[in-house]
Amino acid sequence: MLFVREIKKIVKSIPYLIFVAAIIIGLYSQGVFRFDKDPLQEPQPGGVNGSYGYRYDEIPQMVMPSALRNLLSEFSNNNYTTYPIGFMKHVKLGEGEQEGMAEILSEITGSSKETILREVVGIDSAGSDNYTFQIGGDNMQQGEDGNFTIGSDAKQHNEPEKLTFAVRDDLEYSRFRELMKQADDLLGGGSKYAPDSLSQYGTVPLTYEEAKERYKLALNSDQITGGYARLFSDYAGAMVLSVLPVFLAVILCMKDQRAKMEALIYTKKMSGVKLTLIRYAALVIAAMLPVVILSYLSNMVVWGSYSGMRLDYLAPLKYDLGWLMPSVMISTAIGMFLTELTDTPIAVAVQGLWWMFDINLGIKTVHSGYSLFRLAPRHNVGAKAWFKTQDYLDYFQNLMQNRFLMAGISLLLVIFTILIYEAKRKGKFGGNESIKRVFSNFRNRKNQSQA
Amino acid sequence: MNQSKGCFPTLEIAKINLKHNSLMSIFVAGILCLLVPLLIGTANLDRNAAAMPLEMFVSLIGIVLLTPVFQPEQNEEINDLVSSKYFSTEKVYLIRIVYSAVAAILLIVAFTVYMKIRSCDMAPVMVLGTVADAVFLGAMGMLTSALTGNTVIGYMPPLLYYALNIGMGPKLGSFYLFSMAIGNYKAKIWLFAMGVLMIAGSLLYQKLRKRTI
Repeated sequence: MLFVREIKKIVKSIPYLIFVAAIIIGLYSQGVFRFDKDPLQEPQPGGVNGSYGYRYDEIPQMVMPSALRNLLSEFSNNNYTTYPIGFMKHVKLGEGEQEGMAEILSEITGSSKETILREVVGIDSAGSDNYTFQIGGDNMQQGEDGNFTIGSDAKQHNEPEKLTFAVRDDLEYSRFRELMKQADDLLGGGSKYAPDSLSQYGTVPLTYEEAKERYKLALNSDQITGGYARLFSDYAGAMVLSVLPVFLAVILCMKDQRAKMEALIYTKKMSGVKLTLIRYAALVIAAMLPVVILSYLSNMVVWGSYSGMRLDYLAPLKYDLGWLMPSVMISTAIGMFLTELTDTPIAVAVQGLWWMFDINLGIKTVHSGYSLFRLAPRHNVGAKAWFKTQDYLDYFQNLMQNRFLMAGISLLLVIFTILIYEAKRKGKFGGNESIKRVFSNFRNRKNQSQA
Repeated sequence: MNQSKGCFPTLEIAKINLKHNSLMSIFVAGILCLLVPLLIGTANLDRNAAAMPLEMFVSLIGIVLLTPVFQPEQNEEINDLVSSKYFSTEKVYLIRIVYSAVAAILLIVAFTVYMKIRSCDMAPVMVLGTVADAVFLGAMGMLTSALTGNTVIGYMPPLLYYALNIGMGPKLGSFYLFSMAIGNYKAKIWLFAMGVLMIAGSLLYQKLRKRTI
């Protein structure tokens, strides 16, 4: 049977051995086989040194002064840090844009734009909670009320006149949010002032009741094993499974070419649909095989620690199929499609680049971990934070959209692969040669028109 | 083409190889460098932050340039043809390695100068550190390509190693690729030395393999 033969061919190859070794090494390095060292514990009154951890919350009283402090600091140096697609970027605004920013600060603080532009220069940040501000060559200090006070040397000789930058008392939070959005737009997006990032300014200690609630959610919704399976999927997807399957696909598809068997296979009775689908299924199943085994090996180490409790023994399988398989599918489909189209291993570069960007995007916000075009969704939370199950439930819809989109694109690419294969078989398309011919025709036409 | 047997046509071989085998790799490496400023900040960075674009992105050109060094001869027909020539294939490999390394160094220098112009705190040692990363990653690809006889497989280990660096961070000690970003420059000596060793190992393997065929 062709399917079994294809699977055997893949599994017995050197790239597959490297693939399996890569998964084991990659996952071992992240400690997924030692989950028992990170047990899920019920919060006890008093917590760990009186703390139950923290959560981010968009509390206006906390967000407004902190965001203003940051914005003032960055404005003064005209050096703003943004993360437009995840990577850090330092933005320097032009004169007009700085004026625009001053207008925003003016509306937030109630001071005039001119005062802000004139006075706020060279603010020097000396730590996240300890800012020394120098305004107009003078010192500005943060008072206990969170306001920033500036004393002028010249004026200190007489009666020191103090300038205070604080959020206006009458500023509604909704307006503040709008102004922050405008600031973010001026910076080209991805700044700490973007509406979905503002909650990061509100770090709130968890209460005992909240910690208990999280624990209960991990018990009832995740049934413990689900949380560990999710963490396994987070590592497996990001480190290996969203990139390495492309190699298996490219190498298998180029094998016929290397062995010069393509023309012979074209003459066989087997339809392109059947051959491509069998190969695709064989590649996906071969790639998923070690994942399923390893996910259970990783999950099983914690089973003994929770005897008598309700565990979801199918959780690893559910996450393997729902979370990880779409990443494997898209990586494999890109490999097959581009190899069939170009007869070159260009898919490795394409998928490698996409993966590199995706892995470096990190997890700036919970939302970004589940965003629509994420190659490998992220939820890097262990048992110490009770798996943050609520975040997972809140963004489950986004996760599903992402996974279905990836699976859908994969199937589309497989259909295109079939069409290309059939075209090649009928001699209507010659892969790389055809592409080269198109380019050379285009060049010739251009030369002719120039002549 | 009228070279005598005693005079090895180094320049001629370099020119032909560049034209037929390496232009695409150099082009892709150049594109990768051009993409970096679109993705990550390359202006007004202090020393540690400035190391990030170099170590995390520019060093990847080592994989693009060095891994395919053995690719042409992995085609059996080309291998048969090249083997029939009087000059040693190892010397051809060496020529390819040298010009690929030179291309990597030039691109890294150009990128460093570009960042310097954009008011980043750059130092010559950062060029050396990035070259060490590029050589290490590229050599890892070369060695795998030599051992398996397949360049595509050669790209797998360096990519995995890159992922390990993101996952494990400084735990990798002297073999941590992004050490300049945390102010450690000594690790690069190990990376470079290991890279050179792997290149030597892959050349030696190619030579031995040929003898046994």
